[in-house]
Amino acid sequence: MFRFLVRRVIGALVILLIISAVTFSLYYALPRDPARMACGKVCTPELLAQVRHNLGIADPLPVQYWHWLQGVFVGRDYGGLGNCNAPCLGFSFTNREPVLGTIMDRLPLTISLALGASVFFLIIGVGTGMIAAVKQGRAADKIASSFSLLGSSLQIYFVGYIAMYFLVQQLGLLEQPSYTPFTENPAKWAAGLLLPWLVLSIIFTANYTRMTRSQLVEQLSEDYVRTARAKGMSRRSVFFRFAWRGAMGPIVTIFGIDMGTLIGGAIITESVFSLQGLGRLALTAVDANDLPMLLGVTMVAAGAIVFANIIVDAVYALIDPRIRLA
Amino acid sequence: MSFSRRNFLIATGVAAGASTVLSACSSGDAGGSGANKAPSVDKAKAATIAVGTKADSTGAAPEVPGAVKGGTIYTLDQIDWDHLDPAQLYSSYEGACSVLFLRGLTGYKVDSKGTTTLVGDLATDAGTATDGGKTWAFTLKDNVKWEDGADVTIEDVRWTFERLFASFVTQGPRYPQGWLIGGDKYKGPYEGKHLDSIEVSGKTITFKLKEAHADFNFMLAMRGYSIVPKKHDTKEKYDKRPFSCGPYKIDSRSIGKGATLVRNTHWVAETDPLRNAYPDKFVFQFGFQSLASTDRYIADQGNDQFTLSLLNEVAAERIQKVMTDPALKKRVLTQVDTTCYYFAINTKRVTDVKVRQALNWAWPAQQLKQIRGGALSTATATTIISPLTPGHKDFDLYGKKTKPTGDPTKAKALLKEAGKEGQRVVIAMQQSDNSVKQAVAIKSALTKAGFTPVLKQVDKTSFYSQIGQLDNEYDMFAAGWGPDWPAGYAVIYPCFDGSQIADGGVNWPQLNDTSVNKAIATATAETDPDKAAKLWGDIDEQIMRLAAVVPDYNPIRNYFHGSKVGGVVYDSGNTCIALGKVFAAK
Repeated sequence: MFRFLVRRVIGALVILLIISAVTFSLYYALPRDPARMACGKVCTPELLAQVRHNLGIADPLPVQYWHWLQGVFVGRDYGGLGNCNAPCLGFSFTNREPVLGTIMDRLPLTISLALGASVFFLIIGVGTGMIAAVKQGRAADKIASSFSLLGSSLQIYFVGYIAMYFLVQQLGLLEQPSYTPFTENPAKWAAGLLLPWLVLSIIFTANYTRMTRSQLVEQLSEDYVRTARAKGMSRRSVFFRFAWRGAMGPIVTIFGIDMGTLIGGAIITESVFSLQGLGRLALTAVDANDLPMLLGVTMVAAGAIVFANIIVDAVYALIDPRIRLA
Repeated sequence: MSFSRRNFLIATGVAAGASTVLSACSSGDAGGSGANKAPSVDKAKAATIAVGTKADSTGAAPEVPGAVKGGTIYTLDQIDWDHLDPAQLYSSYEGACSVLFLRGLTGYKVDSKGTTTLVGDLATDAGTATDGGKTWAFTLKDNVKWEDGADVTIEDVRWTFERLFASFVTQGPRYPQGWLIGGDKYKGPYEGKHLDSIEVSGKTITFKLKEAHADFNFMLAMRGYSIVPKKHDTKEKYDKRPFSCGPYKIDSRSIGKGATLVRNTHWVAETDPLRNAYPDKFVFQFGFQSLASTDRYIADQGNDQFTLSLLNEVAAERIQKVMTDPALKKRVLTQVDTTCYYFAINTKRVTDVKVRQALNWAWPAQQLKQIRGGALSTATATTIISPLTPGHKDFDLYGKKTKPTGDPTKAKALLKEAGKEGQRVVIAMQQSDNSVKQAVAIKSALTKAGFTPVLKQVDKTSFYSQIGQLDNEYDMFAAGWGPDWPAGYAVIYPCFDGSQIADGGVNWPQLNDTSVNKAIATATAETDPDKAAKLWGDIDEQIMRLAAVVPDYNPIRNYFHGSKVGGVVYDSGNTCIALGKVFAAK
């Protein structure tokens, strides 16, 4: 297991290196000029050159990339703007602060959003899928399948606005979405995020219901399940000790990817509910041509996905003994 | 419109300072007064902002009827402040917010009816001009304090203007740099050298200018010329956390998310004629799009009742609902903007004045107005100087009001006269859904008038960079300019004087007409405001006869707020809501 983890972590770091280089290059391939964006209302060539120098984008691209990489390991000095300690993912000239600080400021909201929503969609999605599988072909199965089809065809920007309008603005049943740190006030934390959790869970639940149902139906028709039943095991024992365990593998895989994506930034969800997480940060960075911030968020998002996958692989092996960590 | 923060500033050319009173503003639930009518540029009057006396410059600010002290005022806006270092601060949005903690030598005093007067803010009056407007002197008030209790000194004032020349200052307004004698060689005070054309004696500072500038004191009312303490100047870092000499100071700030202002206990109300400072606290909240803020104002629940927006307007999706519901409309402050958006015609490429005039005659003003949201959000422009800016002259050389859909017959006749039938016109448009719709209307109208239009979509982030190049390959392109202070000079000189033609400059039509240049020089030197206003109006007409641009529209702003925000009035000098006047009603 240890060797497996070390190997995967090294692989992940190489992937992140490639992603950083590609993001850097792609960004500069676009016909955009961050210096012009940061230059004033009347931007003379002299002023533009000064801005380029101040932004540190006067150097050739490979040199800029090398400086960025150096910063990650040893930090960087940004002259009059101050120091950026290692690991320095860059300095945002739009926000005038190291990007890592801003990312760390937004990360708790994004993690709260992802974790809270996942509790809902896992419990409801997997639970409903299990009922549908057990009651295969009956009314409960048909209702669950229909709702999952409906849920998977909805979009956050549609459900979100509708839910906001009725539940918050018209009926006042839920609080205006907002973020209060958990450590500051757990009740307010939950109340402010309840609506985004519910909306996110509607979208995600559908996938988990359908997947759980299909996996369980498949598992329940396997020979080993029939054998166990023939040997006198109760339906409940067979279901939870064999079929459920066998079905969870693919679900854990998808869950890992979903969590990585959510932590990387739920752009639409955060935009709909005016929440300031990593997704909004990325969007703002694109709009403001803030390459350092965009690169920083991309690296954190990529890191979340890559490491979530490593965790998934490890958990997968624990759940299903048939899988060996080779 | 989905402008980014920076795009918004660049594309609109919005800056602190512009003009006059709104044509119609609505009353807030909790205070203010005004008629509940739709705005109209046509009915608007350009009221010259008077220069106040020494008595007008004395605090405290005139009371707002019905105002109460205490409570918290919240804001909901899409974007954070780009800059807080006055030297880097340019937009009216940042100016609107920073009025609570930044103070300059002069400022605009707004009464509860929206009447605006130029007065001394930190200075005892609005300044004294001598030498025909080439020398200006200001005396610092007594008892004005920084947030640490230290006195604001005349050395701080000198330092403020000298640091504008430092190399890290690249974004704020740049008037003193060009106007002060010796400014072209000065590199800032950080190496221990003073600029000789700024003299201090006792509590008086004197500025010596290369040429006469009768409206130097108006220019100083831009928030970009607020005073910076020498002792606390952290150069580049000052942009993040400026030091306050206003009624509030920054308590906390999370960039991109929000900021909280609390009272500056060292502020003395009797020194401040501009700010009433009724609430105990201001909580600024960023990251809310117009639709989100509009819906929250409609719902009007909880703290949203004490909330207002300084940049977000009523969302296009809700404008009909809000403006047709009297209860909601009561909470909207409607204001015609002084910015004029126009299509600049590149006079170096389109050299024949008849062709340029034909473009004006063919213009589909009515169709474009509809695409932009109709009369609730834009007013058709026929002049370069907005009807609200002193110097405006009412004329319509190309029949936009009589034939708002364009006059292809007249345009065709002019093209024929010029021997340019089928003239190819390359038009640059920013990439956006709205621009595409407008491009289709323009193409159709120009084709009908005998032109061969060629549309080129340009990435919005590099648009202004491209059209600012002298050797650009476009015949026409959308641009816009809001005056930095309420005067014709601030509209005409930067955009139409021949001396301003440069790469990256804003004389987009590249107009270099000897008679226009001469007229601009004469108007600039005119010290009588009424005479100057007339001269600027004449220059506007002169430029329009040369058809250097096709005036397009003046935007109409609709600012929504909660039911318990009182004292919402417009600061027509800085073209924003006067935040120093608002209060949280009980």
